[in-house]
Amino acid sequence: MIADKVRAIWCRELQRDNVSADDNFFALGGQSVILAKIQGAFIEELGVEVPVDQMLLNPTPASISAYIESLGAVNR
Amino acid sequence: MILQGKRVDLPAAPVVHRRFEAHAQRSPQAVAVCCAGERLTYAELNAKANRFAHFLVARGHGRGSRVGVCLDYSIDMLVAILGTLKAGAAYVPLDPSYPATRLQSLSAQIPGLALVVASPATVGLLAPADADVVDLAQLADQLGSLPPGDPDVVVTGADECYAVFTSGSTGTPKLAAVRHEGWYNLLNWLMLEYGLHAGSDNLVVSAFGFDLSQRSLMMPLFCGATQYLMASRNFDAAMAYRMLGEHDIRVVHCASSTLYVLVDWETARGGEVLSRLDYLLFGGEPLRVERIAEWARRPATTCTLLHQYGVAECTDVASSYRLADYWPSAPGNAPVGRPAYNTDLHLLDEQLRGVPVGEHGEICIAGAGVGAGYLGGVGPEWQRFTTVVVDGVPRRLYRTGDRGYVTPDGDLVVLGRLDAQVKVRGMRIDPTDVERAIGRVAGVREAAVVVRHTDAGEAELIAFVVPSGNRLDENDVRTQLFGMLPRNMVPAGFITIGQLPLSPHGKVDRAELTAACQKRYAGHGAPA
Repeated sequence: MIADKVRAIWCRELQRDNVSADDNFFALGGQSVILAKIQGAFIEELGVEVPVDQMLLNPTPASISAYIESLGAVNR
Repeated sequence: MILQGKRVDLPAAPVVHRRFEAHAQRSPQAVAVCCAGERLTYAELNAKANRFAHFLVARGHGRGSRVGVCLDYSIDMLVAILGTLKAGAAYVPLDPSYPATRLQSLSAQIPGLALVVASPATVGLLAPADADVVDLAQLADQLGSLPPGDPDVVVTGADECYAVFTSGSTGTPKLAAVRHEGWYNLLNWLMLEYGLHAGSDNLVVSAFGFDLSQRSLMMPLFCGATQYLMASRNFDAAMAYRMLGEHDIRVVHCASSTLYVLVDWETARGGEVLSRLDYLLFGGEPLRVERIAEWARRPATTCTLLHQYGVAECTDVASSYRLADYWPSAPGNAPVGRPAYNTDLHLLDEQLRGVPVGEHGEICIAGAGVGAGYLGGVGPEWQRFTTVVVDGVPRRLYRTGDRGYVTPDGDLVVLGRLDAQVKVRGMRIDPTDVERAIGRVAGVREAAVVVRHTDAGEAELIAFVVPSGNRLDENDVRTQLFGMLPRNMVPAGFITIGQLPLSPHGKVDRAELTAACQKRYAGHGAPA
């Protein structure tokens, strides 16, 4: 599932043991350096380049997962 | 101690857009700008800008006016900027990534604001009552009927060219204006000193509101090169890195924190596009050399790294240092080098007397870059613009509030601030400005903001919040602040306390709060 992979990426890059689907990126201490790391991980692990503008409009794992699914990305 | 910049003659009318016009004359078919797959030649961009200039002049917004530009990076942004300059007016960048309430309070602070240029994507951010808001796309027919030739407007080096918002120390942002002479001098210095030319194609990677972005926007047009803009409201590392390679970009100007992101990107993926640029110009915050040292010392890294220092009040960059030979074994403050042309750096004590080599003093800037001052205010900040007598001659000078010293080699080193201001990812922030915003959040009685450095050495803001009721939800406060402040100004962490500790003088005891903050986050990389 994309949603699970997104959450795993968030946990790793934000250095959290656990991230829920509705956690806000900024509330977890996110900022631009981490944003770029997550963007890079999406490319390498999900095969999709998500624009940063979209990552900021969708600051929770649930909403960014929905966005990625809407792209029809092929789940590698 | 005075570091004197080389004296270089400027033209009789050092007016920035005249350089662009000269390139449009000489190489009309050269590509001036590319954005989102669209490109315009120098002749085409010049004609578009001229039509917008004629429009402004006809509306009475000519020489001496001020025009807000609230646009995403786009060809229209350059049309609006160049057209404004050609009309003899000054522009004020309004970054559409800021919340609407912030943009509205900033634009209300611009004295004599003639109009704001917006797009369908940004028009909703502005309150129509502030000023005339125009959408270039909707004006297309009207602009098309105006003449494409250069408008006949006299502009001198003393005229304002742009003004940017920067933090003060009183809780309200200041609008610092600069003059054509200073901007021309800056661009001319970079061009001549580093040999920038018509092939020095540029990619803008910084946020529009920064002074560095004004330089990055104009530099290639000053040299006859091509400007590349990202069709993104926010810095996008993947897009930026891809564009560097696809378009064979040669020059990038950025905040040091953006450089780290680009270096990380390249290092993680084994690329060489960044390493092979001609120039990276960066600064705006203390450089963490260890973040780039390994990358910079690879044999593949042929790019010249320029570590720079300056303030918005004095036209952006005042000094520059080639980092090539600076790779110390121990962390320290990397030098920011020697002054720009026609610029002097003074190291002064509290009585404005020079300090000797190696001794700490306040960094003060004199010369061509000293700006037109703060617009629409007569507060204490104005006293930073003052006069000193050097060899019997009075010189206008700006006291930066930064501490520094000069090395025996004659390079400037910056140590930090004399006051409470802080830089977070390149943005100069006055903590009291943030405190004011938090104070307006429902459920908050008062707040104090202190600076903390993460284990990685990055500065971040921590807010101590006193609730007015029983409970206060941190996420709620954060969400409201994102609607009020630029992202970099929203604190990374919030700590609820019953009351703020006071010093014996009755002021908020920041030292105690800073200590409490360090204790709270001891051993944590990020606020929990």
